[in-house]
Amino acid sequence: MTRSLDLAARHAWRAAFAAAVLNATGMTADFLLARGLPAMPAYPYVISVLVGIALILILLIRRQSATVRLGSAVFMVNTAVLLVGLWITSGYWAATGSAWTPFQANKLGALTVAMLAPQLAVGLVSIAGFTAIALGKFYFLDPEIQSGFPVGEAWLILIYALFAGVLLAYRVRGLAIEREMLRVQAEAAASDRLARTFLRLSDYANTPIQTIAFATELLRARNRDDLMPVLDRLTRAVERLRELSEALTRHQKAHHWSPGEESLDSSFPRQTLVPGDSRYSPYNGIGRNPAA
Amino acid sequence: MHDQGFVLFVEDSDDLRETFVELITAVVGRRCIGVGSYQEVVALGNDVLGCSAAIVDINLGPGQPSGIDVYQWLRRVGYAERIVFLTGHASTHPLVIEAARIGDAEILSKPVDLDQLRLMVEGVRR
Repeated sequence: MTRSLDLAARHAWRAAFAAAVLNATGMTADFLLARGLPAMPAYPYVISVLVGIALILILLIRRQSATVRLGSAVFMVNTAVLLVGLWITSGYWAATGSAWTPFQANKLGALTVAMLAPQLAVGLVSIAGFTAIALGKFYFLDPEIQSGFPVGEAWLILIYALFAGVLLAYRVRGLAIEREMLRVQAEAAASDRLARTFLRLSDYANTPIQTIAFATELLRARNRDDLMPVLDRLTRAVERLRELSEALTRHQKAHHWSPGEESLDSSFPRQTLVPGDSRYSPYNGIGRNPAA
Repeated sequence: MHDQGFVLFVEDSDDLRETFVELITAVVGRRCIGVGSYQEVVALGNDVLGCSAAIVDINLGPGQPSGIDVYQWLRRVGYAERIVFLTGHASTHPLVIEAARIGDAEILSKPVDLDQLRLMVEGVRR
């Protein structure tokens, strides 16, 4: 059974994994493109790619014990390394003049965060990071370089950030609804299982209760005065068992019968209570036990 | 009131069947024949026409013909007297729902008490 918590952890794991893979591959591609730029340092790319690979390994190792916290932490570390790399490298790219579309990596990063972030807060912080890095770098750029930027840059990143934020909120809300639906479905399935168990217990008990009730009446008819107190006790006990059986069947509406299920194996309760006991092999018929 | 034909009791639990037969005989004062399966009912042949009430467990065991099959066979051979289904199942059980669709049969849930038993055996035919 998949629980909503499992699903959230899996979502977080997959998001962090995808982000780390994009970091490793994206920064590698960017490095290959930047090789021809004068004085472009390699270390921001190398560090970012190595961290991305390390995060991928960590996620693979922790795959079976993934948590939302782990996914979010990896996602944040990955974003932080990317932001540092972009801060350093964007200055060199900007110096190339018209060959560079301003802060394209930051815009792409903000939109990617919207699609992948494991949690709303993590996503918003990451989008804010990509935006702040772009604006901050723009602020520190030489005015001559700034004047060469297309109209509206670098402020266009704010529009990207707005779109990314809305997309992120929409996506996170969708995931929350999906998880809630899963939880409700899991509860309904558990309720159905419980109702089925109660019904089978009740079905199983009714024939023996009936046998005791009839046997009690049979003995009572023999008019043995010395037996009467015992028979009265038996009658009261049967009445309580009858009440128990009725209580168990109150859940019947919660159970939806599936085809073939009506042919219940009457050994069910004993197998449940004493699992693995070979004396309690299945037998046909309510109350009939050929092994007895 | 019925004539004094015998009571047919179809129940796959040996203990319940034998107890029932003894109880009907000793307490109600009627002859009772207990059988454990559809096949045993069919083996009675036309003798079943001599019974004044048939009390039939709905579930006669996994993979076995049900009490509903017994009901249909009884009607097919011309048995026109009262048939009462006795069941330990909940009312939502598919077999009980199927039995409830049969217009002229009654359904009673286990456990029944002695008064209900007398009514089953001696009650006015519907």
